[in-house]
Amino acid sequence: MKSLLLLSLLLAAADARAALRIVATVPELADITRRVGGDLVKVDGLARGPEDIHQVVMKPSFVTKLNRADAVVYLGLTVEHTFLTGLLGVARNDKLMSDPVKQCAGPGCIDCSEGVPVLERPESLSRAEGEIHPLGNPHYNMSPENGPVIAGNIARRLSEIDPSHAADYGRNLKAYLAELEPKLAEWRKRAAALKGVKAVSYHKDVVYLGRFTGIEFVDTLELKPGVAPTPSHLARVIQKMKDQGVKLVVREQHFEPKTCDWVAAQAGAKVAVIGVMANAFPGTETFIKFSEHNLDALLEAGGNR
Amino acid sequence: MRFFVLAVLLSTPAKARAQEPSPDRIKELEERITKLEGKSGNSSLSAFNPVMGLAIDMAHLHADDKADFKFRSAEVSIEAPIDPFARGWTIVNGGPEGVGIEEAAVQTTALPHNLMVTGGRMFASFGRLAHFHDHELPVVERPRSLDTFIGGETQADGLEISWLAPTPFFLTATAGAYNKLGGENPRRANGTARSLYEFTYLGRLATYADVGEDHSIELGVTEAWTPRRFVTDTSIPGFDADGDGNPDFPNTSAGFTTKKNTWRTLTGVDLTYRYQPAAGGLYKGVVWGTEVMQNNERRFDPARNTPTDRVRSYAGFSYVWLKLGRHWRPGAMIDLSEDLDRARRLTRTYTAFLSYDVTEFQRLRVAYSRVSDNVPANPKNDVFAVQWTATLGKHVHGFRDR
Repeated sequence: MKSLLLLSLLLAAADARAALRIVATVPELADITRRVGGDLVKVDGLARGPEDIHQVVMKPSFVTKLNRADAVVYLGLTVEHTFLTGLLGVARNDKLMSDPVKQCAGPGCIDCSEGVPVLERPESLSRAEGEIHPLGNPHYNMSPENGPVIAGNIARRLSEIDPSHAADYGRNLKAYLAELEPKLAEWRKRAAALKGVKAVSYHKDVVYLGRFTGIEFVDTLELKPGVAPTPSHLARVIQKMKDQGVKLVVREQHFEPKTCDWVAAQAGAKVAVIGVMANAFPGTETFIKFSEHNLDALLEAGGNR
Repeated sequence: MRFFVLAVLLSTPAKARAQEPSPDRIKELEERITKLEGKSGNSSLSAFNPVMGLAIDMAHLHADDKADFKFRSAEVSIEAPIDPFARGWTIVNGGPEGVGIEEAAVQTTALPHNLMVTGGRMFASFGRLAHFHDHELPVVERPRSLDTFIGGETQADGLEISWLAPTPFFLTATAGAYNKLGGENPRRANGTARSLYEFTYLGRLATYADVGEDHSIELGVTEAWTPRRFVTDTSIPGFDADGDGNPDFPNTSAGFTTKKNTWRTLTGVDLTYRYQPAAGGLYKGVVWGTEVMQNNERRFDPARNTPTDRVRSYAGFSYVWLKLGRHWRPGAMIDLSEDLDRARRLTRTYTAFLSYDVTEFQRLRVAYSRVSDNVPANPKNDVFAVQWTATLGKHVHGFRDR
């Protein structure tokens, strides 16, 4: 036991002199951080991808990662409130302190929502409206349009944390955007086929994706955000779908398929299964692949009106 | 909303609509709107107010032809960072027996060497379920072994220091010193001064390992040690030890005080296995938790306060909790608890429970327990319970009580 502990301490010390240690809460942020940080960063992820982002489990092994991190990259807008705040509260890292409002406070906090045009800011806060996020809808990572904002935030904050390599981060950002922006242009063209398509989603997390694709989301299967569907609510949704000619049901991968399939069958609609994080499906571990997968799924189910 | 604002901004400057706004003008306005939409939220002074929450817990219990509605507790929690170096919280609990401060503690956030100090009234880090608040337990009634061996929750007035080892795996060591351990521990009153020998000292080691992607194991070992326990014998009023014809304690009924060899140790081992598939998040999985405790102390005749022999008793419980989705969570628990005075007297409690989470903030639970002991003449006791728990505002007990 003693030698194991000694070995661990030595390994930890050896590792410490290497690149910046970064923890990213979700896989697409880990991907973008790797691209922007290059060899200058070592990135660990928390969520794996298939989870409900609101329900990521707090594991003690995450505490160890956060304790040793120089920075944490997170989506913010309280989307990681079920795990990040609690983990930072015990991580004993004064660069990343737990904050009940911002989730993270300290020089190592990289909040990727800075500068994102936040949608659906609630006018009033009440749990009667379900599990709403007080700072606005936090699922901006689902819009490819926000990729450059996220990457820009990461590059800017890495440059502040590690100013001696600011030029490297800037160069890496430029290279990443040179890859992302042509993709964005291509996706915008492809998404034109979805403009004006009416759809319902399971959870209210598609507003940014809706803005990018032009899909008009008219309702959710959940009664309210985070409140499971009730039979009477589903009956109302089906009727609404029939009345408005809604032919697309969007299911986030982590929600059970039965309800969506049933609603789609009742309304004569198709189901598109999307991820709310990268790596929700095999082969979608990067922001680009994740965005592409979601667009493909929407086009396949809703693109041919 | 964005387009609405854009439309308004574009329409206001004069009716001179004849000329279309230039692309530069549109870009400038879009940037202004983006800034407004992306502006950080709360900038009022109320943002400094602590986070507050309230948990309401009530139950209907039916045992042996007797039933009652039980308002169990209303628990207000208040929490906030104090300054860059500490955070604080308090939990005020009101129940049928009155209102009291359940926790009120300050915890450091910026000590070097991975140290964290907590001071005040807290739930000490003994075992795992022992420091859960009642409404956070997987069962309706606190396991009998915890009630008997700890005395309710591990409420303790004192100081705790914990260290997170700088290792690639999770390892924490905790040491604590408290007036006593257990909110309903009758051995000693909380508010009286005492010698250092009479405090309770705690040591705990806890570790964790991921076993593959979806499985994990947590293991903890705790010992709480109270070096001395003074008990005054009240059975011999006017006791005259020196034989001078006068009572040694003329103004009291006290006889003599037992001081020697009255240390107490409470030792516990806790093991938790979790199966948590990534796609299930907090909704799906299995939790299997087992805790075993040994209490070793010189006991006192409760009627006369005269010392009896040292007794070593054991207690523990094991439970399985299935998470079947957003709503349903069935489980079962076995609790075996020896009597602290008569170690061979064993009480067994078998419990089956089923929770229904209406939402994340409201839960219904039914539970059935059969309680029996190994005294031949004693009847078995059946308890049926229905529990309703709700949370208002933000009410979380954090990483430790996950």
